[in-house]
Amino acid sequence: MQYVTDSAVISTTAPTKVVILGAGRGGTALLDLLHQIPSIEIIGIADRDQQAPGLQRARDLRVPVMERTEELIANHGVNLIMDVTGDPQMERFIQQHKRPSAEVMSGSAARVLWELVRHEANLQAELFHAEKLAGIGSFAAGIAHDINNPLQLILGLAENLTDERNLKTVHDQAKEIIEAVRRTSAICRDLTQYARKSSARDDAVVSLSSRLDEALKIARYAASFHDIEVVKRYDSGAGVKGNPDELLHVFVNLITNAVHAMDHGGTLTLITQGAADAARVSISDTGRGMTPDTLGKIFEPFFTTKGPGKGTGLGLYNVKTIVNKMRGKIAVDSRLDKGTTFTIIFSPSREASS
Amino acid sequence: MAEFTSGFFMGDQATNGRVLIVDDEADIRKVVRMTLQKAGYDVLEAENGEKAIETINAGENRLLLDVVICDIRMPKINGVEAIAYFRSNYPRVPVIVLTGFPDTDMATSMLRQGVVDYLVKPVEGEKLREAVARAMEQRELAHL
Repeated sequence: MQYVTDSAVISTTAPTKVVILGAGRGGTALLDLLHQIPSIEIIGIADRDQQAPGLQRARDLRVPVMERTEELIANHGVNLIMDVTGDPQMERFIQQHKRPSAEVMSGSAARVLWELVRHEANLQAELFHAEKLAGIGSFAAGIAHDINNPLQLILGLAENLTDERNLKTVHDQAKEIIEAVRRTSAICRDLTQYARKSSARDDAVVSLSSRLDEALKIARYAASFHDIEVVKRYDSGAGVKGNPDELLHVFVNLITNAVHAMDHGGTLTLITQGAADAARVSISDTGRGMTPDTLGKIFEPFFTTKGPGKGTGLGLYNVKTIVNKMRGKIAVDSRLDKGTTFTIIFSPSREASS
Repeated sequence: MAEFTSGFFMGDQATNGRVLIVDDEADIRKVVRMTLQKAGYDVLEAENGEKAIETINAGENRLLLDVVICDIRMPKINGVEAIAYFRSNYPRVPVIVLTGFPDTDMATSMLRQGVVDYLVKPVEGEKLREAVARAMEQRELAHL
């Protein structure tokens, strides 16, 4: 049974063709939101300032960037021109060049729209963070295990050192104590890094393999890896442009789910592939799998198969939102009692593929 | 049996009793061994529930094992399953839980199953030795 999320395929009616004028904060926010909506096609974006942040963002998203604003406005087939330049002259300019069928949204209407978009983006960020923090609640057992075990070692060795006479043993055990302290302090570093709020826009070229390794460390607190064999098949060149914190969050979610699906042990396989046309990540388990009915609902908000208080039902919903935002696709292949594979296909970014 | 458990001979070395420590972390097994050997116990190790069951069923351990110290989170057979096995097959062998996670529900359920002590790491050597000594007394009472 397979399931694929693909914003381009789901749409059935002809898309609304939109032009964005202005690539400052307003234009960028609109771009980010609109390109996720299947029924909207962004024909192009333009700004007099060639350094405007939205233009680079548009290139990353493969949205055409036009140098000549009038050509963009006059493009036939445009349904809606969204003017977020804030420039009073622009309205007249649009009216002079646009085709009669194109509608215009400008001035305060456009401003209200982008306020709404920004508001939505903030809510989304809050939702990610809330879901992440809810997840961290389930780390308690794992954290306690990983802190208290080294503490037991440190205490036992220190007690022994109080009356140890053999100098070599003293030296060896002191070194063991130092090593145990180092291991323990790494736990706090990993977790505080994970728990922090991801900044809204710090896109960077991210190595998929190193993000997966990082996620594996975090997921070990959320799920018991006893009797789980981890197999990695990494292509070290596999990279993607995106928000590193959000990607980490995606991978932690998928790895944790995979391990939770394998109550009685199994194999977790992590694969990264970097090809010229697309980078891919797949996360497979050999666990209980899903029925077609469950599979159809997993990306819905608040859908969970975990018991009350165990899952928020927002994990995969957030995974899908983040991947959509990156213009990626998620394919899920699941067979009952055989296992599940999540594959994320990212469209390439210029920097990552060059 | 009582005279044996309180001081039987292993070769020519007298011990205060035989203790099995079950923990997946070698470091923990090592420090528990160090702590208990100082108090004159003979210490056996198992890295998971499955190995622990093998050990208790092996040869003379069947008769001579006095106390089990057992972790909860472990691979293969975990602590909960292993302890259930010990309680039903070796009800006279006292079990002490030594875990990294202070979980009240787990502690209650373990004590109901007849576990004699529920210790949370890190536990000081003196406390551990006291817990084992108390368990040894129970072990001897069970034989009267």
